[in-house]
Amino acid sequence: MGLVREFTKGLWDEIPPFRLVLGLCPTLAVTKTLKDGLGMGLAVIFVLLCSNVLISILRNIIPPKVRIACYIVVIATFVVIVELVMQAFTYELYQDLGIFIPLIVVNCIVLGRAEAFASKNGVLASAADGLGIGVGFTLSLTVLGSIREALGCGTLSLKIPFTDISHVYNLFGPSFKPFAFMVSAPGAFICLGMLLCLMNIIGNLKKS
Amino acid sequence: MLSALLFLLALGVISGILLGIASKAFYVYEDPRIEQVENCLPGANCGGCGYAGCGAAAGAVVGGKAEPDVCIAGGNDVAQAVAAVMGMVVEMAEPQFALQTCAGGIRAETKFNYLGINDCRALALLYRGDKECEKACLGLGTCFRNCKFGAITMGTQGLPIFHSEFCTGCGKCEEVCPNGTIKVQRSTERILEFNTYSDRLAPCQQTCPAEIDIPKYIDHIKNGRYEQAVLTIKERNPFILSCGRVCPHPCEEMCRRTLGDDPVSINQLKRFVADYEMNTGRHLQIPIGSDTGHKIAVIGAGPAGLSSAYFLRRLGHSVTIYEMQPKLGGMLYYGIPEYRLPKKILGWEIQGILDLGIDVRTNVKFGVDFDLESLVASGYEAVILAVGAWKYSSARLDREDETIGVEGGTIYLERQGLGIPNPIGKTVGVIGGGNTAMDAARSSVRLGAEKVYIIYRRTEKEMPANPEEIEAAKEEGIEFLFLAAPNNIIDKDGRLTHLEYLKMKLGEPDDSGRRRPIPIEGSETRLPLDNLVLAIGQYSDLSFVDSNRRISGVEKTKWNSIKCDEDTNQTSIPYVFAAGDAFIDGPGIAVEAIGNGRQAARSIHLLFSDESMKFSKDKLRVKGNKGHIPGTIFDKIEGIDKKGRISLPQMDPKVRIHSVDEVDLTISEEEALKEANRCMNCCLTCYDKDAKKVNA
Amino acid sequence: MSDYLLMAISAIFINNILLAQYLGNCPFLGVSKKMDTATGMGMAVIFVLTLAGVITWIIDVYLLCPMDLVYLRTIVFILVIAALVQFVEIFLKKMVPALYAGLGIFLPLITTNCAVFGVAVINVREGFNFMEALVFSFTSAVGFALALVLMAGLRERMATARIPQVLEGTAIGLVTAGFMSLAFLGFMGMV
Repeated sequence: MGLVREFTKGLWDEIPPFRLVLGLCPTLAVTKTLKDGLGMGLAVIFVLLCSNVLISILRNIIPPKVRIACYIVVIATFVVIVELVMQAFTYELYQDLGIFIPLIVVNCIVLGRAEAFASKNGVLASAADGLGIGVGFTLSLTVLGSIREALGCGTLSLKIPFTDISHVYNLFGPSFKPFAFMVSAPGAFICLGMLLCLMNIIGNLKKS
Repeated sequence: MLSALLFLLALGVISGILLGIASKAFYVYEDPRIEQVENCLPGANCGGCGYAGCGAAAGAVVGGKAEPDVCIAGGNDVAQAVAAVMGMVVEMAEPQFALQTCAGGIRAETKFNYLGINDCRALALLYRGDKECEKACLGLGTCFRNCKFGAITMGTQGLPIFHSEFCTGCGKCEEVCPNGTIKVQRSTERILEFNTYSDRLAPCQQTCPAEIDIPKYIDHIKNGRYEQAVLTIKERNPFILSCGRVCPHPCEEMCRRTLGDDPVSINQLKRFVADYEMNTGRHLQIPIGSDTGHKIAVIGAGPAGLSSAYFLRRLGHSVTIYEMQPKLGGMLYYGIPEYRLPKKILGWEIQGILDLGIDVRTNVKFGVDFDLESLVASGYEAVILAVGAWKYSSARLDREDETIGVEGGTIYLERQGLGIPNPIGKTVGVIGGGNTAMDAARSSVRLGAEKVYIIYRRTEKEMPANPEEIEAAKEEGIEFLFLAAPNNIIDKDGRLTHLEYLKMKLGEPDDSGRRRPIPIEGSETRLPLDNLVLAIGQYSDLSFVDSNRRISGVEKTKWNSIKCDEDTNQTSIPYVFAAGDAFIDGPGIAVEAIGNGRQAARSIHLLFSDESMKFSKDKLRVKGNKGHIPGTIFDKIEGIDKKGRISLPQMDPKVRIHSVDEVDLTISEEEALKEANRCMNCCLTCYDKDAKKVNA
Repeated sequence: MSDYLLMAISAIFINNILLAQYLGNCPFLGVSKKMDTATGMGMAVIFVLTLAGVITWIIDVYLLCPMDLVYLRTIVFILVIAALVQFVEIFLKKMVPALYAGLGIFLPLITTNCAVFGVAVINVREGFNFMEALVFSFTSAVGFALALVLMAGLRERMATARIPQVLEGTAIGLVTAGFMSLAFLGFMGMV
């Protein structure tokens, strides 16, 4: 029951970046298309899960004074692993995400969960928390990616990493004029702002 | 593989050593709680809280600028951990309340018609708002909308109304008010506050030496909230019964109602609510701060000593008063005659002050029975010298000390206070033109003197006594000899028979702006007298300064008062303070001593909390009719129905000269309400117009 | 020389690190509520970013590349930046208290600022030489400070505006950032 709760809170109650306003940079940068958002999300899930587990294991050994430095080293290690794996197996995605893969190191969500949760809870709970927040983050990225790609290019491009399964769906037919604004930088900001607004409206409705 | 391992190891070692050395070499002290709080925070430095990183947020929490739940990333666990670190401090905090300081509202003149966004901050961006007064409440209700606790409502007068029962003192309203009309304060902070140029003060409030919030208490009376009125006055002055009777009310001189008809009888209204409290038979509860553990000794139980003790007690300190006389009250008891301030009433008032938890030792004289050494040895951390001015000034007449029948005004009145018989002849002369002279002369009438003269070297216009007192003295048949300067004492066998005086004429004005009296040659006149009372001035008995080693460090002024800082009351010994008549200024009226006592209390409180005692630059310093906030002493008023002030009820002069009963009587409730409604509730520049109210 | 000028204009206006490259958005929304905080943060970022950009470039070119340890770049950079920021903070606190009072509290915030890390990585990925790395680091930081201060000015004004309740807070901040970004797109034709 406890573990399920730790997992599910990341899917709505504390879903980043909407409820926890953290990790905005990758959210804005890599959500031009659905497949980029999904890839980024999977990378974050991996790093968040591994770092949460490792930090939870080490939580009683790490001296509190230098804990942040230790967390960063742990996170950085897993980020390097992700980077190397992606370079080897999904080179195209690696190219698309570019600088934002090493930037997972400084993604506040990862560090924030390490400090706020993994350093105080057991291994299983931390794993559930990391997975939950990671999946929540991935969900947000895919939703945002889908909206921006659909409106900006009129397509939805799906590609499961590490496999050959890929497909590009054309949504609106040949007469659709792409709304290029959505895939540019301003579109990212405004789209995210509007989604946040939507979340607030839903929250208000639930309350009343 | 190996090179990677070695490289990282080396990097870690180097940066570790570097930072280790740096943190020792560049060590700077800071509040240890900041680190404790920071350790509770996630340390992600995300900035989501609006502060620059977790360290800054921790600093803000410890500094009281942020709540423990400041971190949005950390959630409830972190908030509780932070609250645990801060817990003790949060509990100790005294409640704060919001107060509105502007009385303007819809009555204030407007410069333009504003149709923009319904928010004071937006309006303030345009020429600092639409009101003529730049410090006015703009009345668009931004504070009301930002109050999360429903403690503010918008009143019909265009001003917000604060409900203290819901107010949490969060300070949001103060923060959003662009003109700073809202003050969020603890009650101790209000005691420590003195008038400044940036406050919104009516002319009367600026003038009152005790800085009583006069418009506020009159407003309470208007609305029948007499107890609130009493508490409002007692925030600045614990002697409401006494001042309601004896205060020469300088505030009424500045009352702007004078421009229309007569000044509001501010002091009579004070007396009315004071008597209301007394007639209920119990003292209203006064809030007292939590105990601080500091001990203070107050020397002298006069208005200054009792006032400083009262305010120090309200600030949570323990106070002991030492008094040389058997009764408390100082000059209020021994200097002011029974017919003006009955001893029973004064005693009831002082008991109310002592009931707050103030210790008293009577019949002990500083410098004789105890001294500064013994006080310091008993653990007192600060001492207030409120010894008053009990010595009378010499009239510079030959043999004035030796001649039987010649005595000082203070001794003459003190004897009455002590209940010692005051042997008196048929004719009595009193030299001097102040209230002490009036008291001595009017007391003589009651003691059975058939003819009483007041001898003053200038004219009635220059007399410093209250006009009411002079009027009352005339009614009681006292004769005034103006432009008469005593020259010589004539005696027979060492007993006074005559006073020789010179007639004077007025010459050029001197430094004080009063015309200098010049003697007329050869105008010596003899006045047959049995008794002569010298009431030309008083000074402090500072003989204790020479009495022992420790107190001898206190410096004196050339007027024989204690030398001390005008703003802080601190003497040349840092933990010794002077207040009241012993203060630098010398003898004054009771209400000045009371205000001065609060100033001394403030200094001592700040001394204990290691804060600077200096006032800010914009402290309001009003002396007489000078030093008011520019533009607030407006010279014309419109829309006033002429009503005239209520008459003061007094005992018939023919009856009262044979009795020591109180001469002035309390006004009735009906009259009090009538008089309170004459108050225009002035603020800086605007005031209530009667005419407007009638139409509305 | 004109190359550097072009690079500077491009980094400040066209490829503004905040508005076009999406780096450093957390502090952008977090610290832009008040003008003075935003100015302090901007200055601190200029200071640290320039220093970090140069030092990480030196480490990369003279240590990591010759030793064939490029795969350690991420972990080394973040460590160096963290240590550097901490050192600067301790150093300023003691030696230049006046500067510390202005910038100090913003320094820890910068460790996890992706703008700093991002610029360090861009420097080496693009194969800049030393001067280019210096100019790019400095001008990117200036671009960051510019956007931050502009945003703070807008948000101070917005505090008095009537904003729909559902848009309050971060949502309106993001939408405003979107319009600022749109405005900065206009510089595209300059170079």
